[in-house]
Amino acid sequence: MMPAMAKIQVSVLLLLYIAIQCGSLNVDTISSDIKIKNVDRSIDISSQLVKITSKVTLENTGKVPVKNFLLSVEGGAKSNLAFISAKDHNNKDLRLVETTVKGYDQVKFWRVELKEAINVASTAIIATESVYTKALQPFPTAITQQEDQLVKYNGNLYFYSPYPVVSQKTNVVLNTKSVESFTKIKPFSQQDGTIAYGSYSNISPFTEKELNIHYKNNSPFLTVTRLARLIEVSHWGNIAIEETVEIEHTGAKLKGPFSRYDYQQDHHSGPASVRSYKTFLPASASDVYYRDTNGNISTSNMKVKKDSVELDLRPRYPLFGGWRSHYTLGYNVPSYEYLYHSGNEYLLKMRAVDHVFDDMQVDELVTKIILPEGSTNIVVNFPFTVTRLSDSLHYTYLDTKGRPVITFTKQNVVENHIQDFQIRYTFPRLLMLQEPLLVVGFLYTLFLCVIIYVRLDFSIHKPEHQHKD
Amino acid sequence: MTVEVQSKAKLSQLSSDKQLTFIKLAVLSMAAILSFATRLFSVLRFESVIHEFDPYFNYRTTRFLTEEGFYQFHNWFDDRAWYPLGRIIGGTIYPGLMVTSATLYNIMQFLNITIDIRNVCVFLAPFFSSLTTIVTYLLTKELKDEGAGLVAAAMIAIVPGYISRSVAGSYDNEGIAIFCMLLTYYFWIKAVNTGTILWATMTALAYFYMVSSWGGYVFLINLIPLHVLALMLLGRFSARVYVAYSTLYCVGTILSMQISFVGFQPVQSSEHMLALGTFGLCQLYAFTQYLREHLSPANFELLFKALLTTLLATLGTALVVLTVTGKISPWTGRFYSLLDPSYAKNHIPIIASVSEHQPTSWSSFYFDLQVLVFLFPAGLYFCFTKLTDANIFIILYGVLSIYFAGVMVRLMLVLAPVMCVVSGVAASSLLSLHVKDIEPKVEKHDKKKKHENNFVFRSEVRAHDGARIIFDDFREAYTWLKMNTPQDAKVMSWWDYGYQITAMANRTVIVDNNTWNNTHISRVGQAMASSEEHAYEIMRELDVDYVLVIFGGLVGYSSDDINKFLWMVRIGGSTERGAHIREADYYTGAGEFRVDAHGSPTLLNCLMYKMSYYKFGLVYTEGGRPPGYDRVRGAEIGNKDFNLDVLEEAYTTEHWLVRIYKVKPLPNRGL
Repeated sequence: MMPAMAKIQVSVLLLLYIAIQCGSLNVDTISSDIKIKNVDRSIDISSQLVKITSKVTLENTGKVPVKNFLLSVEGGAKSNLAFISAKDHNNKDLRLVETTVKGYDQVKFWRVELKEAINVASTAIIATESVYTKALQPFPTAITQQEDQLVKYNGNLYFYSPYPVVSQKTNVVLNTKSVESFTKIKPFSQQDGTIAYGSYSNISPFTEKELNIHYKNNSPFLTVTRLARLIEVSHWGNIAIEETVEIEHTGAKLKGPFSRYDYQQDHHSGPASVRSYKTFLPASASDVYYRDTNGNISTSNMKVKKDSVELDLRPRYPLFGGWRSHYTLGYNVPSYEYLYHSGNEYLLKMRAVDHVFDDMQVDELVTKIILPEGSTNIVVNFPFTVTRLSDSLHYTYLDTKGRPVITFTKQNVVENHIQDFQIRYTFPRLLMLQEPLLVVGFLYTLFLCVIIYVRLDFSIHKPEHQHKD
Repeated sequence: MTVEVQSKAKLSQLSSDKQLTFIKLAVLSMAAILSFATRLFSVLRFESVIHEFDPYFNYRTTRFLTEEGFYQFHNWFDDRAWYPLGRIIGGTIYPGLMVTSATLYNIMQFLNITIDIRNVCVFLAPFFSSLTTIVTYLLTKELKDEGAGLVAAAMIAIVPGYISRSVAGSYDNEGIAIFCMLLTYYFWIKAVNTGTILWATMTALAYFYMVSSWGGYVFLINLIPLHVLALMLLGRFSARVYVAYSTLYCVGTILSMQISFVGFQPVQSSEHMLALGTFGLCQLYAFTQYLREHLSPANFELLFKALLTTLLATLGTALVVLTVTGKISPWTGRFYSLLDPSYAKNHIPIIASVSEHQPTSWSSFYFDLQVLVFLFPAGLYFCFTKLTDANIFIILYGVLSIYFAGVMVRLMLVLAPVMCVVSGVAASSLLSLHVKDIEPKVEKHDKKKKHENNFVFRSEVRAHDGARIIFDDFREAYTWLKMNTPQDAKVMSWWDYGYQITAMANRTVIVDNNTWNNTHISRVGQAMASSEEHAYEIMRELDVDYVLVIFGGLVGYSSDDINKFLWMVRIGGSTERGAHIREADYYTGAGEFRVDAHGSPTLLNCLMYKMSYYKFGLVYTEGGRPPGYDRVRGAEIGNKDFNLDVLEEAYTTEHWLVRIYKVKPLPNRGL
């Protein structure tokens, strides 16, 4: 190990450590100057995810401009939360910092840093979005092949906020009319696959009121239990990406037999099962392969579109509740789209996680990036907080001292996490010659040895038996 | 053109000696590359994957070896097969194949060549057939000359009888065993020709490699003593042969006993007795030669007669005593069927049920050997015209292997190399006889290339013939089993699929392709042939969780379980506990095996029938036919409307090829 590299690693780790420490040490107070005038909330539970988007109108009732405010998530729901973001009225992303408030240990808080402070007695409209995984519970938990899948949503009827809310409305999108039961707190209305609640006025901070909806949801309940993404960078113009996916149908379990006859005769059979799904790859993806430990999975189609490559992946068998599958999907992309350089300095910009299927949920993501042999001064920049695992070395064709491998992992990943990470590193361009020279040198030595060997005579005496009849 | 002219000009600048070397090298390396390339069709047309049944077992054990190391492998007790008996893998296999691929794999890993172990296994057979090509050249060169060697090498590169056993993905013992066998022969001929201990020891080492990789080594250890005997009878026995054979036998036997599967067989089993006897005879022969030189003829005569009678008497009694006391194991069934083709059929259904063990039909000689069938007699003639020690060997080899290949289809593989060698001799001799003016080697090479093109072309036609639909149901089912059943689930199926289930689905099986326990297989056969209630008892006894059957009735896949069913009945009925299963019950009154309404009621209500045809009676398979029309048997099934009481359908693949049933637990009390 080079000392310079080690030093940089140490300093990066130190910085990370400080950043983590800072994050957990943040303490905020709830400002009494802020009031929420209006909340328009939409809860989308038509897929396996719960997506909540809220339009929040903040009002500054204090005497000084407000530069930030707090977002909060109920203690019961925080473990399901996969993603949260906030945007201002210009649709610009705002910075969210995790924080805590004394006296509210169970609640999770974010401090939203506003770009423009809210002046005294004026308002600002902020749009927040949050995505929850595993918040929909199948009930009954096991169904037969012919039955529809029913799920229960359990949420908060009111916008959960540390500030008083003057007026609020909630729209729940189900995309189905068949609702078994739902919370009926007036005023509410139900039409065309949506249930509208509100408006409710003057709700005090941190109010929780149970919202229960029990309804039919046959959308694919697929969980990627583990997604291992391997990115191998070559300076010869190619980046190889391989994703090993373990997938499970986490909806209502299949009860009783699976009848192939019914499944083939009737296309409505197995409504909750997943026959296939679509994966989108980058438009420049080529040499795609789709296989598992037993070889190629011959049931897949590929369509090359303008801005992406669409893969219609069919697992070897339809996935019913509780059934699992696994596969490896690999492809190549040209490096000029993702790798930038000036002189010996390189910058790799790629997605930390890519699309597996619409409304995906990934329990565990492990991304490995293999850099070319001889890369040094590696600095990594992640778009969201991840756990970085220790670096390692990878040996493959014509390697001598190994390629540096950067590994990071993250739990609970959804589509909103499809964002770019950045890696900066130094690579002396002369090192490109190392591998060809290695081959040339080897062949040279080999021929030299043969030439010498042929010219040497090791025999002690000439053989006597010349046995040619 | 200009390049060609230039290179020709350059070639002609070399001395004729160098030119010859260059051409020889070129032809040989092209033959080697050709033999590798012709075996890659399966990979090019489909994918790099292991084929068939046995290769899956070899692949699984190789993976184990690379992951766990040799000592773990050697001591491996496999609890995934033969439940509840298990199988000691380390002591019941020929490890040569696995050790070879693991060694190659480790070397490549050491050189940072990150190739998957599966790919090593897939490409091992083609790689070794390249080596075989080179060894064939060396062997034929020893027999005749370099020209014949080149022809033989080119022939073995493309002989169908050998290709069929060594295509990419056919990862079986035979793939490397043919190389080992020819290597042993080459060293043996070398040893006989030179009479040096060096070559004899090399023969022993090659023999050891052969023993470690294939049970067919028995053929080899009988052929070499036969050669020695023949040399003795023909009065060609010399000090060279004595040195070669004595060294080979001593070193080779000790080495072969290191393989735990072989153990003490080389000195106990009757299959190895010829080698031992010949070894003794060699010593006696040499001793008499020695005595003859030092004694007067009259004295020698007396001594010789006395010694001979005592020796024969002691040997005879010893043999009888040892056989009676069981020290010399009786001849195994597979070996009997070599000598008497009808033996297996009459006595051991489990051996007879394997298609590989059937006698060879005439046509397959022509299909597997092509032009070699006609060249072979000519080659034998040329061998006889110039009888040498080496030629006698190849004549013996050729004649014996022709006989064995006629007995068992599988042994066509042993015949193919000698056919090539002898035909190489024939072609080369014919050409040098008639085409005196032209360089024989160059001429021959052109001829071979045409042959090669022909072969390539035909395979391609086959590939594009008709629409290509891949029925991937086997892997679909195995993957389903692997992913969606409990880790310790026990799967019952007919033994053919045992290796594949353990390798691809990683589940415990009741019986597999290593058919070592006949009663266990018979028990499975009984379950398949019994009625549901009776089968349930057997399945409970064997702790079965899932049952897997292969059913081709929907797509017309003819080697399915219903077509194999009679073997299950026969094997099931061959043991004491299966005495109630009689083959006759499964035939109609007229003695036919029918699945339609006229079929025997025993058949129509047995477990195998029900599992194969469950809900099939509702399916329309062909236009103008009633539902439940079986496309393999060409009949509408006789028992359509039935329910399964003790089983439930767990999974059926897309084309119904594989059907998996779950054995229901005992019903709760009071229900």
